[in-house]
Amino acid sequence: MSHAKGNRYQCAKCGHINYPNRTLCRKCRHSEFRPVALPKSGRLLTFTHLSTLPGDFDVPELTLGIVQLANGVRVTAQLDIPRPKLGMAVDGEVQVVRKDEYNKYHGFVFRAK
Amino acid sequence: MREVYVVGIGITTFSRLEYPLVEIAGYPAMLALKDAGLSSVDHVYVANMGAARLNKQTGLASAVVDHLSLTPAGAETIENGPASGASAIKQAYMAIASGLHDTVLVTGAERMRAANNLETTDFVATLTHPLAEYIYGVTLPALAGMFTRLYMDKYGVTPRHLGMVAVKAHDNAMLNPFAHLHERITLDGILDCPEALTNNPMVADPLRFYDCCPVSDGGACLILASGDAAKKSGKPMIRLAGVGQATDTHAVHEREDPTQLLAVRGAAGQAMRMAGIKPGDVHVAELHDAFTILEIAESEEVGFFKKGEGHLALEKGETKIGGKIPINPSGGLKAKGHPVGATGVGQAHEIVTQLRGAAHKRQVKNAKVGLTLNFGGFGNNVVCLVFAKE
Repeated sequence: MSHAKGNRYQCAKCGHINYPNRTLCRKCRHSEFRPVALPKSGRLLTFTHLSTLPGDFDVPELTLGIVQLANGVRVTAQLDIPRPKLGMAVDGEVQVVRKDEYNKYHGFVFRAK
Repeated sequence: MREVYVVGIGITTFSRLEYPLVEIAGYPAMLALKDAGLSSVDHVYVANMGAARLNKQTGLASAVVDHLSLTPAGAETIENGPASGASAIKQAYMAIASGLHDTVLVTGAERMRAANNLETTDFVATLTHPLAEYIYGVTLPALAGMFTRLYMDKYGVTPRHLGMVAVKAHDNAMLNPFAHLHERITLDGILDCPEALTNNPMVADPLRFYDCCPVSDGGACLILASGDAAKKSGKPMIRLAGVGQATDTHAVHEREDPTQLLAVRGAAGQAMRMAGIKPGDVHVAELHDAFTILEIAESEEVGFFKKGEGHLALEKGETKIGGKIPINPSGGLKAKGHPVGATGVGQAHEIVTQLRGAAHKRQVKNAKVGLTLNFGGFGNNVVCLVFAKE
């Protein structure tokens, strides 16, 4: 559940934050990690407005982007920003981003700062 | 290791095919067997991505080898996403080069249009990272859209350059009887005229409808053989001279520079080193243009052009048939079509056809060395093949 709360995993040996998490660290192949909280703010690296969606989204369009957080970690996320711009400052929170018949999935949603 | 040659080829049209999946795999295999003058092979590989989900069929290779009455030959299904086709050819290469087999049939087949559009969109989106991408609604067009925006910002690629790739692909597909889209398009019709946004709506901006490949059914087959077996076939000696494969991070956001396609660079470098050639030695290439931006980016990563200059070569017509390095004379995924698991075999079919000098109106003159690049996921598993005419 720590994933749903926005926690990510920092290598206990080299300190690299692996997101998404891995069995072996991407930088040093170490296998022990500790959960760390990520910063909530960052800058928008790129984005798209997607209008052909999988069937379990009941909206006509999604705005998606990649955000570089204040500590350098990057995340893919939904954007609640009508007119996004490259490089803009954003703030994020974790909320439900997808639902299907059985599950709710939590992830990042960013808004303009 | 032994040398490996292509002795037989076959293909279906890429379009909507109202046939069972085993027949889509079987028909091009029948053509390839006739082409090679063979009635049996030592082994069969079937390249496919979606049979279990879209067609409710598992154990596809077992079904195909029986459908072709090729039992008791060994048979396996190879699934490597949209790079399944080239991966299956790589497996066949290894089987023959090692001496395990003398003749191997590789047939790629996909029947995507058996499912509705929403189901197919979701099926292809399962290639993305399940927790870091898929849950957000990320699809392959979404990743391509975000990639394109970065590429435009960094290198000056414009929607007009993307449109030029699409127009070229459609023009080439008009010359290919097996292509999915026989529809000539113009920059005016898709970008400039008052109806352009209706003709060519946004899909994942800045990518529009005509920047994206169609969803296709289709099958293609290659039969590979050892040198001795190839000589007996009497066919032109087309050697599989280079094989390369490389991977990259599953989640695109983890790449240090997301505009770099390192797996493309790695796979192409390996294949060309193995073949003993440089990018300038390639006469014709089939690159994985599921989205128009990918033809431009891959043409740079393979080494045909400097990074950031692929769109400038496109402007000069260097990638057209008759240009310096013709890319996607078949129409590419963009207009020939993209039956995902079969695509890599279809690319190899086109290159072998070109090297045999049998591509008719889309023939690249004096083509002796050809390259295919088959791109799995969003560049996280890439296979490159080099073919040479002897």
